[in-house]
Amino acid sequence: MLIDKYSRTVYNLAFNFCGCSDDANDLTQDIFIKIYKNIDKFDESFNISSWIIRISKNHCIDYWRKNKKNNFRIDLEDNLVRDENSPEDNLIKSGDLNKLREKILKLKPEVRSLLILRDIQNHSYQEIADSLNIPLGTVKSKINRARIQLAKLYEDR
Amino acid sequence: MNCNKFEELLSAYQDNSLSPDEKKTFTDHMKLCSDCEAITEEVDHIKAILPELNRDVPFFLKNRLYLIGESDEEQAPVRNYAYLKWVAAGIGTMVLFLNLFYFTNIFPAANKTLHTAVAGVENFVVEAEAFIGRIKESNNLFIFKKTEVITKANKKKRDAKAKRKTIRGFKYG
Repeated sequence: MLIDKYSRTVYNLAFNFCGCSDDANDLTQDIFIKIYKNIDKFDESFNISSWIIRISKNHCIDYWRKNKKNNFRIDLEDNLVRDENSPEDNLIKSGDLNKLREKILKLKPEVRSLLILRDIQNHSYQEIADSLNIPLGTVKSKINRARIQLAKLYEDR
Repeated sequence: MNCNKFEELLSAYQDNSLSPDEKKTFTDHMKLCSDCEAITEEVDHIKAILPELNRDVPFFLKNRLYLIGESDEEQAPVRNYAYLKWVAAGIGTMVLFLNLFYFTNIFPAANKTLHTAVAGVENFVVEAEAFIGRIKESNNLFIFKKTEVITKANKKKRDAKAKRKTIRGFKYG
């Protein structure tokens, strides 16, 4: 079923794109509604995963442009790390992740989505290029620039 | 190699896809330039922690998503009646204009045509009423005298039935 297979990809793209779990929930729901509404239009000779990624990315960018351009926030509570490390370590790690998430939101929506797909979701460059219909070289150079920009922003923390 | 070129090749270096010559030039520059070295370390660090931003889909959200799937499967195709509002708007506008032309004389030609048309309709109605009146009076058409016509046609049958009833009345009464 589509939801079992792709909900994690869509949700993580939405969540890392907008930085807030409430918005990510709404976005994920909207994206799946869109997917179900347009499933008849899907050309079966193409890869469904690419199609879903493209719909998700476009929807996230549209949403960002409409709603969040000047008003983004991240939920600190959403990013609390609770693993086997000591509470102090977890707190430091949570702080790092919050900082990183905050910096990701400062990237341009287009490169942000590419970075999320590559470095957070671990899709290959080729897969991203196919999904978004962008030349492979462009994907690589955009992701490279996004990493450097993010590193510089992160360094300034 | 300058710093811009270094940044351009950074991902390729990390993906280990540089040629041996490029790799040597790259590492030589990194040894000399502390800024580029720092950037490389920072990018490495970020790349290592970025996957930790991945998280599971909340349980309640997944349930909600399943409901979308189910409702979509059950739903009959929805007909789009959006055009009806335009039809209604068109009719409304037309009626408005007809009234305007009929009751005012802002557009004499339209006013005259409308009055002629209305007079024609009125005449037609009067003539139709008179025609129907004549038909009713003539008392011949079966649509108004249906029962009578049927009665005449089945007179024989009805008489026979009445006779049978009378006989039965004697027998059991």
